[in-house]
Amino acid sequence: MLRVLAGSEVADLEPLLGQSGVKVRLTYAGTLDGAEQVASGGADGRYDAVWFSSNRYLSLIDGARARLSTETPTMVSPVLLGLRTAKAAELGWADGRATWEEIATAARDGRFTFGMTNPASSNSGFSALVGVAAGLSGADGALTAEQVAVVTPRLKEFFAAQKLTSGSSGWLAEAYARDGGVDGIVNYESVLLGMEGLTLVRPSDGVVTADYPLTLLASAPAEKKELYGRLAAWLRTPDTQRKIMTDTHRRPAVPGVRPGPEFGTEPLLELPFPNRRGTADGLITAYLDELRAPAHALFVLDTSGSMRGERIDALRKALVTLTGADRSASGTFSRFRSRETVTMIPFSGSVGETRSFTLPENAPQQVLADIRRYAEGLQASGGTAIYDGLRAAYPESLRTDPGHFTSIVLMTDGRNTDGASFEDFASLYRMIPQGRRARTFVVLFGESDAEEMTRVATLTGGAVFDARDGSLAEAFKEIRGYQ
Amino acid sequence: MKRLLGIALALLLAAVVAVALYLGNGGGEPVVVRGVIGSEKEPFFNDPRVRAAFEKHGLRVEVETAGSRQIAVGSDLDGYAFAFPSSLPAAEKIRKDRKVARVYSPFHSPMAVATFEPIVRVLAGAGLVRDSGQGHQLLDIAAYLDLVAEGARWDRLPGNTAYPARKRVLLTTTDVRTSNSAAMYLAMTSYVANGDDVVDSAAQVPRLAEKLAPVFLDQGYSQASSEAPFQDYLVMGSGKTPMVVIYEAQYLSRLFSGDGSITSDMRLLYPAPTVLSKHTLVPLGEHGERVGRLLTEDPELRALAVRHGFRTADPKSFTDLVAAHRAPVARNLVDVVEPPAYEHLDRLIAGIERLYAGGAAPRTEGGS
Repeated sequence: MLRVLAGSEVADLEPLLGQSGVKVRLTYAGTLDGAEQVASGGADGRYDAVWFSSNRYLSLIDGARARLSTETPTMVSPVLLGLRTAKAAELGWADGRATWEEIATAARDGRFTFGMTNPASSNSGFSALVGVAAGLSGADGALTAEQVAVVTPRLKEFFAAQKLTSGSSGWLAEAYARDGGVDGIVNYESVLLGMEGLTLVRPSDGVVTADYPLTLLASAPAEKKELYGRLAAWLRTPDTQRKIMTDTHRRPAVPGVRPGPEFGTEPLLELPFPNRRGTADGLITAYLDELRAPAHALFVLDTSGSMRGERIDALRKALVTLTGADRSASGTFSRFRSRETVTMIPFSGSVGETRSFTLPENAPQQVLADIRRYAEGLQASGGTAIYDGLRAAYPESLRTDPGHFTSIVLMTDGRNTDGASFEDFASLYRMIPQGRRARTFVVLFGESDAEEMTRVATLTGGAVFDARDGSLAEAFKEIRGYQ
Repeated sequence: MKRLLGIALALLLAAVVAVALYLGNGGGEPVVVRGVIGSEKEPFFNDPRVRAAFEKHGLRVEVETAGSRQIAVGSDLDGYAFAFPSSLPAAEKIRKDRKVARVYSPFHSPMAVATFEPIVRVLAGAGLVRDSGQGHQLLDIAAYLDLVAEGARWDRLPGNTAYPARKRVLLTTTDVRTSNSAAMYLAMTSYVANGDDVVDSAAQVPRLAEKLAPVFLDQGYSQASSEAPFQDYLVMGSGKTPMVVIYEAQYLSRLFSGDGSITSDMRLLYPAPTVLSKHTLVPLGEHGERVGRLLTEDPELRALAVRHGFRTADPKSFTDLVAAHRAPVARNLVDVVEPPAYEHLDRLIAGIERLYAGGAAPRTEGGS
């Protein structure tokens, strides 16, 4: 069996892989998180190959390239803007042609809104960020840190139109298809082509394209290398390439298979990608601290008696991780950021004291330390009034101005024992005006009632994260991509 | 009778032994031989005809790819029967490090540029491309370096309506820190930048590294191995890769195969000056030795190498194939320069590497 550490973007190939004749096990990780695992050597021995939408960020990390062996591009998809057809026509882009300059100007003037993934969690958001930065900077070569600084004000205007965020390209597409709320999304061409009613805008001054390289790890043992060779060769056969094109709307990665008409006839200009990690990280930092709307993150935290011991310890640690204790790049990018408001709502048999922390634009260290102290002081005792906690969170969520990305995290390790019921919560939720209803992201832990927690996530358009067998800190880190 | 039978049996046994010796593996399953190679030779080794030719000799050759410089300095070569980087200097480095007695250079290929007809017209208009008068076209490296020094952009070249991209006029290369094709490109550009002279002293290095760094750094992200940007050229076209530095063999292999990947608007240019890349196999064991010998001596494998666009010790089979495909190929390259010695080339690369690092300090604790 070939053990592959993969980005969630390739999950749609799993059914097809069954026909390859090679047994493959895909384990999913975020782009940045996965890149760090490979670069640090953490993937060696546990995986034989990696398969992300791009190796570019990974290759910028010191020492990472030496851990990689053969790279086989398997398919191709640029990151584009998909807009409701009527909106695209209104903006004069019915033919799908616009420059980044035109797109940014329309965004600044409030003429459309869009959703995009968090560039620190997902390659599509990162590619779009590089694309729009390169496009707006007027740079004719690779972006430099200086150019990023210069283009920041223009980027701010563009991102003022971003009203939806996500930790993954797949969830972004689902959330948009289900809830709308924005005029379009930035995503892989392949995802956008699989959706209804969109006009694909292909920026004529350039895009950033994913080529999904199936990459052998240099550490893989000989028998796995052979499996890799067979899988890679099979993926590039004309038959497989045609199937990938038909099933997943990705462009073929071999010259022998001609792309279908859905990809348009205009050649896509590829923007140069930064060749220094400092530039890439600087862009992500600028996005988090300056460009994007600040987050209002509410944490509804179970501190009931059943949390006593290891569990409350894990919760404390998970929150401390988000205050900057995790010094890795993915840890740094997922910590609480400048301009963000963090609200803690502990509950047991009833709702405890709500505390809010707002990180200033500069020098957030003091407030991060306050949050750390707060987290370390959490104590567990009493019953489990889940919905009282949630019912307290929603009014709190309305306290920040609507310019924030507001979301709620609900972490509980058991069933509701006290106070309000799910129905009570649902009726309160429906009283909130649409457009101001925060999504609730649920973390399953201990003996969580998975079914009812899923109802909470479904009702609010959130998602469920399962930390029952894994680490609570990892689940919290992952959720940060959605905040 | 019994005695005759005995003789017959003995003869038969001897024949079996001889065949087994010839096959090298008792006539059963072929021996798996693992090698690490420059990626541009991967299509050759994965060609079923090449695999069959090796199997006739009892070998199943499995390859992994890596940048040639990576092979020379970075890779752990234990467990491989041979290393097959794309240049003599890289091979020499391995040979010395591993104390190998004999290396094989079964084929070579000049560096070339793959591009598109509209781009060639634009370049010709800017005075960069000229006809050799012998059926192939030349890219003037000195004029190209001048253009790069000016920071020229495609959409600002006079008279360019064919490719109005807001991008610098830059040849796409691999990452010079890892890959041989980029190092060979550095060899030719350093020759020109050094006043038409091979770099032969450490004192020349800092100035040349600084002068030539933009040729690499301004491209942005570059891939590690030579097959990748050429694949991008074939698959994604001029939008991503308007012109790419390759081994001539990469282009010819596609052209000779007639698989349709070389379309009518694709063009092959020869840099003037260019350098020859001598693909050199360093055996790291007995089986690797046999692979090297077979590639050099076996007529079938030699013919297949030519089909893959390589020039071998038999120039006639190459020129015959070129003639049959009416390929715009240089039969006699005049303007060929020697690459610098390994140490000088490596110093140049290290100099450029330092300039990469100039802005590369990772910001682990991000900003405010």
